[in-house]
Amino acid sequence: MATPSFAREFWSVATRTVGWAFHGKWRREEILQHLVHHGIGSIPIIGISTAFAGLVVTQEIAFHMDHALHTTTMIPGFTGQFIMRELGIAVPALLIVAKVGASMTAEIGGMKITEQVDALKLLGIDPVGYLVFPRWIAGIIATVSLTLIALAVTLSCAILMAVTKFNFSTLEYVNNLRHFVDLKDLACALVKAVAYGAVMPLIACTYGFRCQGGAQGVGSATTESVVSATIAVIVLDFVLTYLFTLVG
Amino acid sequence: MSTASEVAIRFDQVSKAFGPKQILEQVSFEIARGEIVFVLGKSGMGKSVTLKHIIGVMKPDAGRVFVEDKDLSALDARGLSGVRRRCGMVFQQPALLDSLTVMENVAFGLRSPEFRAARAADGRPELSEREIRDRVVEVLELVKLDASILGLTPPQISYGMQKRVSLARTLAPGPSHLLFDEPTTGLDPITTQAVNRLIRELSRKLKVTSVVVSHDMACALQIADRVLVLDQAKILAWGTIPEIRQSREPLIVDFLSEALESEAQLAREPVGGTAGPEVRA
Repeated sequence: MATPSFAREFWSVATRTVGWAFHGKWRREEILQHLVHHGIGSIPIIGISTAFAGLVVTQEIAFHMDHALHTTTMIPGFTGQFIMRELGIAVPALLIVAKVGASMTAEIGGMKITEQVDALKLLGIDPVGYLVFPRWIAGIIATVSLTLIALAVTLSCAILMAVTKFNFSTLEYVNNLRHFVDLKDLACALVKAVAYGAVMPLIACTYGFRCQGGAQGVGSATTESVVSATIAVIVLDFVLTYLFTLVG
Repeated sequence: MSTASEVAIRFDQVSKAFGPKQILEQVSFEIARGEIVFVLGKSGMGKSVTLKHIIGVMKPDAGRVFVEDKDLSALDARGLSGVRRRCGMVFQQPALLDSLTVMENVAFGLRSPEFRAARAADGRPELSEREIRDRVVEVLELVKLDASILGLTPPQISYGMQKRVSLARTLAPGPSHLLFDEPTTGLDPITTQAVNRLIRELSRKLKVTSVVVSHDMACALQIADRVLVLDQAKILAWGTIPEIRQSREPLIVDFLSEALESEAQLAREPVGGTAGPEVRA
């Protein structure tokens, strides 16, 4: 979990990674490789999970609305807002933390315990710039792209549920939705996605660099990384949502 | 005692502790240029810590470490990286980057910004891709590997070959001092012999100083010029092989008897073709 020493290391990794963007070499092939591995590799899990999330949220909102208000006409507005502002962003972010973050910590941790990180240092290469930067850039691009995919899938499944079970037509749902959701919501979603995508690889890689011991050390670091990144996503979600509310 | 210009590495009253545990206590020794020194001791007695002080990864709590007359504690990051460039370290594990090919791994140091900057500072032109490839093939030959593995990745070659590739990577930038952290860990006795021969021959051929951290007295007896034995944070013994053989310290006697046993066992092993050929003259 987060400690002062972790905070110091996180800060060091973060500043060196951002600094690398201006002074280091952008290894495009490496970035693309991580993008394919972490981004495209995560599409199935995010697609399936968010599809069911869309179905569930429509069913739940409809049930409670019917129970409390004896009407389901507001389904598009409620589900649309909930998906665009929270569900469609938080669910993929947490899945990315679990899948990609864990993988990044294990990769870097494995390199740390097999002395590859020390070897890089001795060869005059900054391990942070070399290892973290491509993962960071790929993490941001992948999270934004996956969030857009997740929003589309979740909304589509919510529409599907509303059409098949609650007798909405697609046009009716979309027209209703437009009264509650606009481009500002999409912009907020993308800002959140960028923030999650930027923070998650930094947390994951910092834990990787802190890894000690053998396989057990990699396991512990991976667990701590997923826990910390999950908390970070939830806290960031609150902070950003609060800020967006202030801005209006 | 060696003269200043002959001294490659010097520890002057170096102390280091991790929390309450004293790892090194006022340790002093000098290693001459071109010498092969084995640092022996039981686990946790500060052998690897000693190596890490030489490359400046660790700083002593007290005392000073000199590499080529440069006091490491007085150097800034740039100066320290200059010293590190002169020291090649072979890790306990191959420490190769799995995502890169053998060619890319060995060429890694030659393509690093620091290496290029050092060449520029010396007024030498940057190496072309052709020159880098030639250098990679040259160092692979030194460790008895051929160019056919250049396109393979570390997982596609054996562990013994990975160790050699790792050594080739260390040799590529042309270090003056080679540091080995338990280079034969995890290897069978025959391959261990081959690696030991390689260390000795490379040290002689390239005229580099070699510091080998090990707990294998048998290896030390075969190839070391001098042996440093660490125990309880202090130097237990420091001398040439004949001097070490005469020691009556119980730990050293134990090490020696184990070494004799291991030599006898090795003599009983059938001589197979697994041992690497000698380095070509």
